[in-house]
Amino acid sequence: MAAFDYAPAIVLLPFLSFLVSVGVAVSGRDLLPKGGALPGIAATAGSFLLSVWMFLTVSGGQYYDETIYTWAAVEGSFELTFGLLIDPLSAMMLVIVTLIATLVHVFSLGYMNDDGQTGLPRYYAGLGLFTASMLGFVVADNLLMAFMFFELVGLCSYLLIGFWFREAGPPSAAKKAFLVTRFGDYFFLIGVVAVFATFGTSQFAGAEAFPVLAEEVLLGEASANTFGFAPQTWFTIVGLLVLGGVVGKSAQFPLHTWLPDAMEGPTPVSALIHAATMVAAGVYLVARMYGFYALTPTTLAIIAFIGGFTALFAATMGVVKREIKQVLAYSTISQYGYMMLALGSGGYIAATFHLMTHAFFKALLFLGAGSVIIAMHHNEDMWDMGNLKEKMPVTYATFLAGSLALAGIFPFSGFWSKDEVLYEALVHGLGGLGGGEAEGALLLGAWAMGLLAVFFTGFYTFRMVFLTFHGESRSDTARNPHGVGWNVKGPLAVLGVLAVVAGFVNMVPVAKLTGAEIEFLHKWLEHGPAGLTSEHYTELTHEFAHYTAGTLAGGELGTALISGGVSLALALAGVGLAHVLYNVPEPTEHTDKLGGIKTLLYNNYYQDEYQVWLATGLTLPVSRAADKFDQGVVDGVVNGVSSVSLFSGSRVKQLQTGVVSNYAMLLTLGLTVLLVVFGLLGGWF
Amino acid sequence: MVPAEWYLLLAAAVFCIGLIGILTRRNALLFLMSVELMLNAANINFVAFSYQWGNVTGQTFGLFTMALAAAEVAIGIGIILVLYRNFDDIDVTKATTMRW
Repeated sequence: MAAFDYAPAIVLLPFLSFLVSVGVAVSGRDLLPKGGALPGIAATAGSFLLSVWMFLTVSGGQYYDETIYTWAAVEGSFELTFGLLIDPLSAMMLVIVTLIATLVHVFSLGYMNDDGQTGLPRYYAGLGLFTASMLGFVVADNLLMAFMFFELVGLCSYLLIGFWFREAGPPSAAKKAFLVTRFGDYFFLIGVVAVFATFGTSQFAGAEAFPVLAEEVLLGEASANTFGFAPQTWFTIVGLLVLGGVVGKSAQFPLHTWLPDAMEGPTPVSALIHAATMVAAGVYLVARMYGFYALTPTTLAIIAFIGGFTALFAATMGVVKREIKQVLAYSTISQYGYMMLALGSGGYIAATFHLMTHAFFKALLFLGAGSVIIAMHHNEDMWDMGNLKEKMPVTYATFLAGSLALAGIFPFSGFWSKDEVLYEALVHGLGGLGGGEAEGALLLGAWAMGLLAVFFTGFYTFRMVFLTFHGESRSDTARNPHGVGWNVKGPLAVLGVLAVVAGFVNMVPVAKLTGAEIEFLHKWLEHGPAGLTSEHYTELTHEFAHYTAGTLAGGELGTALISGGVSLALALAGVGLAHVLYNVPEPTEHTDKLGGIKTLLYNNYYQDEYQVWLATGLTLPVSRAADKFDQGVVDGVVNGVSSVSLFSGSRVKQLQTGVVSNYAMLLTLGLTVLLVVFGLLGGWF
Repeated sequence: MVPAEWYLLLAAAVFCIGLIGILTRRNALLFLMSVELMLNAANINFVAFSYQWGNVTGQTFGLFTMALAAAEVAIGIGIILVLYRNFDDIDVTKATTMRW
């Protein structure tokens, strides 16, 4: 178990770099070369190496689930602990997060340092703390610890989005991101408390883990405090409460509004936080406690439907955006919708797979966009770009690879994962419909929206590529762009390769077609500690949510091929349309032809407006009324009581003249009266 | 032997003189004197009853009261000095600045 002794260091190394950077920032002097980037790179690279070691150890069949520190214990009731859980899922996530964090640190050298930004120690401190919290979240072995790191991640997001706090936009965007995700986390917190109140534990793994207990309760083998609800109903409520945090962090409808605004932050931050890792936290949380969600079909159906809807909803908004990062932001929301769709439709592996490929290609696209933004002197408007492929071939090649992956074009990584997501939704929807389950129709609806979103994804992705890199240069900066260095090209190259090949670990249709055993991710997630394996999850969804696989023509293989073919055809259609409309020397804004719809899309379906209205038009009057009640009625009673005492006090105090003789007189009179009373009562007279 | 009633009558007379002194006088020194009279009225009672019952406990209390009276005067004089320093007078009705 030697490897796992070093597991805490994965989290502690970035934290150390955070402390160093904070120290430098506080000292106010230029103590470190590169503004503190080097400790960050060293720490994240160290974490990456340790994570790879963990990954190799886990692949050897060893798992780690230990409580490190008990920070509060109630005798005979429950314990609040910090612990590490390293199983195939978290080991894989560790590698992804540390790899991307390292690359983003290197990229930051090119984006921030070479640009002569100030306040860099603060920037690197934020990145370090973010990486540490995200890793802490990934290895958390109980829900409460996960929640705490979840919040830390949100805090870091706030700090980094608002990095350029002297401008007007970033602080406002940072506040928005923090508040919107906090709104979701509020439900998550109640969910954590509910889990504790119901099961007395929030461990993810082991015989006493809460998903295991929930399963036993549903089977009638154990009992738990379900607050008067039927267990199934209560677990659905708890699951939905925790889902609130997931919807906030993973930017799902209706709490997605913070993510596009978060693009105000530095681009490496967008790549690390708002594409590859933090936003993944929500999806990862669902995957982490999938044993619990798999028990409640209603929650699963809701997750799937939210996911499918978000995928389509966000994709349509991406079609009309002008800024390159805005397009990517909406594509991020849309892609996380796919992951939620997969989780909701029983595709645990599909979701994990898409999480992995998306982390690579979306980090790549953001870093590529960062490279473009450097070249364009921080102008993000795609209509000012054009023909950049001549000037920056490395960026173009890698960006193209990422775009092909995002659009889901064969054989890039996104194709395989998106295809599997849609396949899972389709077969379970068909199976549910065949079995007469209401959830089946919901799943098929979600699948249809996801499928439609494929077309939009292909279109907006290649609209972005063509506008940015093809055609004629449309501005002076585009004709004469700023060059980028190795520290930009290096990370792009690494991620570019991964975006191409990452899909090959899990080529399900090919495996079905040839019979070859090349579904490595399936094998990887099939082993693990008891109760945390994909096989167990499949059993649970089958047994409790009645998920069965249905087929179209041609059995399992035929369905897989039809599903893959249709989504590929739709993606190609989207790309083709973008090619026709925008791959011309002088593209025009064809989206203008959409008329009113464009205005609607450009304003994000007025989501912000209605949320602001909810705040100012609804919450504000309600709180005003509550304030009036508080000030008038509650305070009125209190003030009334006190004014009565004040008034009577002001009268009674006149007794105190301060003249000793008067006091003596009162004493004498009092004594006399007392004597007379005693005398009368005692019968002296 | 003089009967105890006479002593009680004497004590009551002395006590009333002291009480009237406190109620009517404004001079703090006269206050002290009047208090002294009242204490000694009590002393007379103690001694008288002690004599009546042939028990020395009352006389012991008389001695205690004298000691207490001495202590009281010491403090009282101190207070009067401070009173004079602050108000240039020892009229007790003038020291009313600390009421409401």
